Amino acid sequence: MSAAAQPTLALETLRRAKLIVLAGSGGVGKTTSSAALALQAALLGRRVLVLTIDPAQRLLQALGLQGEDPANKPVANVPHEVLPRLQHLVPGGQPGGSLHAMMLDAGLGAIAMVERLLPDAQLRDRVLNNRIYKAFLPTLQASPDYMALELLFELSLDPRFDLVVLDTPPMHNALDFLKAGHTLASFINERVLKWFAKVPLPGKKASGLSSLFGSGSSMAMSVLGRMFGADALPDIAEFFSSFQEVLPKLKDRALATDAMLREPSTQFLVVTAPGETSLREARHLFLQLQQHGIQPGGFIVNRMLQVPVELGDRPGQASLTERLLQSGMDAKRAAALAESLHQAAERLLHLGRSDLEHLRQLQRMVGPKGFCAPVPQREGDVHSLVQLRKLGQIVVDGAAPGLAT
Amino acid sequence: MLGTMTQPLPTAQPPAAPLTARMPAPALLREMLSKELLLVTGKGGVGKSTVAQVLARRAASQGKKVLLLELEAVSRAGPLFRAAAVGPQPKEVAPGLWLAALETMDSLRYFAVQQLKIETLVNLALRNRAVEGFFQAVPAVKPMLFLYHVWRLLEEHGPRGDRRWDLLICDMPTSGFVQGMYQIPLTLQQTFRAGPVHGYGKAMGDLLLDAQRTGLVLVTLPEEMPVVETLELGAALRKNHGVQPVAVVVNGVFPSALDAGELAELATAVQKPTPDAAAVEDALALERLIGAEPVADLMDLGAHLWAAELLLGRRQRAQGLLPKLGDAVRGRILELPFLFRRELPLAAIDQLAANLDGGQP
Repeated sequence: MSAAAQPTLALETLRRAKLIVLAGSGGVGKTTSSAALALQAALLGRRVLVLTIDPAQRLLQALGLQGEDPANKPVANVPHEVLPRLQHLVPGGQPGGSLHAMMLDAGLGAIAMVERLLPDAQLRDRVLNNRIYKAFLPTLQASPDYMALELLFELSLDPRFDLVVLDTPPMHNALDFLKAGHTLASFINERVLKWFAKVPLPGKKASGLSSLFGSGSSMAMSVLGRMFGADALPDIAEFFSSFQEVLPKLKDRALATDAMLREPSTQFLVVTAPGETSLREARHLFLQLQQHGIQPGGFIVNRMLQVPVELGDRPGQASLTERLLQSGMDAKRAAALAESLHQAAERLLHLGRSDLEHLRQLQRMVGPKGFCAPVPQREGDVHSLVQLRKLGQIVVDGAAPGLAT
Repeated sequence: MLGTMTQPLPTAQPPAAPLTARMPAPALLREMLSKELLLVTGKGGVGKSTVAQVLARRAASQGKKVLLLELEAVSRAGPLFRAAAVGPQPKEVAPGLWLAALETMDSLRYFAVQQLKIETLVNLALRNRAVEGFFQAVPAVKPMLFLYHVWRLLEEHGPRGDRRWDLLICDMPTSGFVQGMYQIPLTLQQTFRAGPVHGYGKAMGDLLLDAQRTGLVLVTLPEEMPVVETLELGAALRKNHGVQPVAVVVNGVFPSALDAGELAELATAVQKPTPDAAAVEDALALERLIGAEPVADLMDLGAHLWAAELLLGRRQRAQGLLPKLGDAVRGRILELPFLFRRELPLAAIDQLAANLDGGQP
């Protein structure tokens, strides 16, 4: 292993990056990997915040954010200090670093965002009491992209942290996430805003509405009216007019966040797992990021079935049967047991080989300038910081530069 | 030794003894397939697509007209049936089985066509930047349009007035999406107090909450985190929307190649005349040291013991987890065996479909 001899690319990332974004489709272990990397960085002396979306209860417990009672959830959108529980992991010294963890609640985040952006109390209440806004708040969890980016912006200004590790929502499509800011920004262009300026303020509904239909740019409103019914138009109009103050600010922030994602101090890592589908999705994400002008730093490949190196390729069923017979097992039973066990062993070895082949494909994709970190399938969950630290160590130690093609 | 492509599927083994007291599989399966709409969801990577495909194949094999719906730009099930270019238009890929892959813009178009009727107006509307912006900027538009699409698809009828689909199976994205979707009907009714959308909201709510018509299928793996999250999702849906899943499907249950007693027996058997696994390693280290050829049969037994311990370990962990899950869903659990593959070809999907209830289709 060259890990000890020279700092690996993974280690460099943890030492230097200001923002690490972990991307990947659902279920590949992004959240756990984020927490493990954040802990590693903190142990290296960084002041780290890990922002997680929908973390598992066990992970919260491991981070010391949640007790045994699942109903007693930690407060969302607030950084919680994990560090006091870290110290016993660093024998013989205080870590210079610190670790905070924060859970994202998109609905609460949206309320807090409006409160931050609108200092004027009257205006603020108008937005927060808008019926469309209120009704859609609970559904925000289906699209946490905006809020993750929005919070990211806030956190980048927080002097307590010099590294943010961002666990992203599950994505098949990197563009959904990357474009969250852009979508908003392009929607809020001048032309559209000008159009919204024609949307009447409450109290002037009747005349405003008729002028809308009369104006040249009212086609959209008329179409919306046909889709949703004319009755809904005042609600829609109110929704947008109450947002007129917020939208330009949102646009500025969206653009700022977008710029942040492209800075050289930002590293994207793609988290994946062996298997054709995962591989395809990881490749897709990787290419999309590249097309977006972002070069991902590497892959973390979770759930590798690890076959002990000393095991042979060709287990012999005959010798197993023979051994069982020697021990005095009756012939029929020995044969049946040997048959089923042999089949299982062969398939598991095969699976292990195919996982390795998938790893090689990812190594070739990332090339020698990036890294690939295979992580063996864990038996059971991460329950403690000690386990989380081990996991992070496995990622850092196992990370090796990719292969030249 | 068999090559990668030709590896056979495990031969049918007698079904393992169920891990927890549960509703008989045939009755549960019959109930599931009697619905009009099955929403298949769960944490990422647990095999939602596999389960949706298995259910679709099984239902189609019973003569039903089944539409398998994916929320993807590129269909996952398409390659399985060697069907190229599966898009928003349902495509018959096998007898009785149609496939469609929907993106949000497809559902938006479907919605616009139904509302505006006139093609020119639809094109005009969807090309309008403000309208497009409205749909992209308003949160939860995705689950809303998808739910609308599903609801309308179920209302489709053939030329002779017969229902176009007997069963619509949705391979859903993450559980967050599903929770958002259950919220939609109420949201729409609150947002639009009258008018067509209010009516849609009500109709969609009636469909989602009608246990006769709609079944929620939660998919999980026999591992701690997915099981805990399934329990949490189930509890949240019950609390917030009064929904109970029709079934939980536990995917990838390791076969009981042998039980704990047998493993002990095997270990003893191997230990008596020959070294145990640790000794195998020692022996191999020695072999390497003296540069001799590896002892083939020691290696063989090493692999067998490794496999046995792995299988038994996973099965024992599953045994610790599944009873709790079974209690939470009143025994409504179906198991799919692990087939030692990361990806399943159609033959494997069909094998799982045929053995869903432990019997023949």
